[in-house]
Amino acid sequence: MFKKSLALAAAIVGMNAVAEDVTITGTVASKCVITTDTVGVYGNPTPSELSTAPADGGVLPIVRYDVLQANFYKARIEYPESFSESPALSDVVTWAGDVSVSQVTDATMSAYDTSKVEFNNVTEIDLTVAGSTWFKVESTADYGVGKAFPAGTYRTIVSADCIAL
Amino acid sequence: MRYIMLAVMMSLCGYASAHQWTPTYPKLERSYVDGILQVTMELFNSRKDVKYYEILVYDSEFNPVKFAAQERIVEVQYLKRKSIDVFIREQDRDVATYVCSKSKLLKGTGTATIVSSRICSKIK
Repeated sequence: MFKKSLALAAAIVGMNAVAEDVTITGTVASKCVITTDTVGVYGNPTPSELSTAPADGGVLPIVRYDVLQANFYKARIEYPESFSESPALSDVVTWAGDVSVSQVTDATMSAYDTSKVEFNNVTEIDLTVAGSTWFKVESTADYGVGKAFPAGTYRTIVSADCIAL
Repeated sequence: MRYIMLAVMMSLCGYASAHQWTPTYPKLERSYVDGILQVTMELFNSRKDVKYYEILVYDSEFNPVKFAAQERIVEVQYLKRKSIDVFIREQDRDVATYVCSKSKLLKGTGTATIVSSRICSKIK
């Protein structure tokens, strides 16, 4: 009798535990998230050129910006103008590049390509639509006047900033 | 509904390789030291390739502003959050505009092109 009562009591206690509510809370606030979607790779189409263009055997670095609310942030992306790592170079490297929209989650974001402000190696875009935007960064480096790049590893850095307006 | 979907997507996608710095508009509050104000920021690191972030404070023209923090270079492990107190002199209240975190990249790591991310919140 005692055993049965104990089992019943245990079952009731157990049932109470199963019925316990677990709360999940979350806050949705304005924020900007910078994600490295694709890391870039330089192709070497000619001895004197390094290029991230797929046609040159490279891979374009892609950075994704996620903004939860419109008009809270601006994106500022700089394509590289120097190597962060390279063999010793004795001649001048000429840099070029471009930043453009690759993919969007909202069709109106494609206007970023026309509204962007470019100066030097910097591209600034006001993130006027909530959602995710993927920006591709093109980068080319020309060494001397048709001079061959010395063998070795070459690395550059793309700066992706998200600045609150 | 759109915002909820976006929030869910951001929380899921954030696990790819992302850097998050909140709040967007922090407020300067009194600290426990007289004449010193503080803002509390939160850093979330989901960049597998980055372990260290630098804390920076700028004026509206992006000139550096003096500040103090427990560490200027903060170690945040992958998928971890860290709360960071940034202390600013009361005399710089009107000057300090942006509190930023910038990813620090280790030499010799990564592929040909590495992305350095910096997110700046604006002090209100």
